[in-house]
Amino acid sequence: MNLVAGAMLVLGFGFILTGVIGILRLPDFYCRLHAMGKCDTLGVALMIGGLALIEGFTLTSVKMLLVLVFISLANPTATYALGRAAVRSGLSPWRAGNGQQ
Amino acid sequence: MSLLLALLAAALTFVMLLSGYRVMAGPSIFDRLTGLGLIGTKTIVLLIVLGSLIERVDLYVDIALSYALISFIGTLVLAKYFENIKEGE
Repeated sequence: MNLVAGAMLVLGFGFILTGVIGILRLPDFYCRLHAMGKCDTLGVALMIGGLALIEGFTLTSVKMLLVLVFISLANPTATYALGRAAVRSGLSPWRAGNGQQ
Repeated sequence: MSLLLALLAAALTFVMLLSGYRVMAGPSIFDRLTGLGLIGTKTIVLLIVLGSLIERVDLYVDIALSYALISFIGTLVLAKYFENIKEGE
């Protein structure tokens, strides 16, 4: 059981690290939002699931699963709200060779 | 297992610093908000990892849950506020 939990923790951290590299490297806001929305949600869900496996079946691990479910719902919603607000405020997306880098 | 948890806590802190670069240097206000959201979700995981590390996770998971609620509402409110402000003002 500990082996599965450790694998979930390391895999989840790998996803989080991928999301942060995407945030740092991708060219404009919408690409960065794409990196944040998926990698971060899956990474955080895997890490909290692994920690709940270490804890065993108690009230604390049920609360951890509650955090997991809340983040799985809230993180895509926040990503969507940010993207919608950016479109409405007139932030233009990046295109190859229109003067931006 | 506790060595792995300590290493993960250190690595999560390092990754939070990396997202802090996007908060400091983001060209638009929404890039900064994206970085803030990343730091918020990593803080939740870091709280639970630290709680497991010092064996008081029953205390820390409540803090993580309320922090998740506050961080989500904060992101929504900030996105709604900056929606009405055009780029370049």
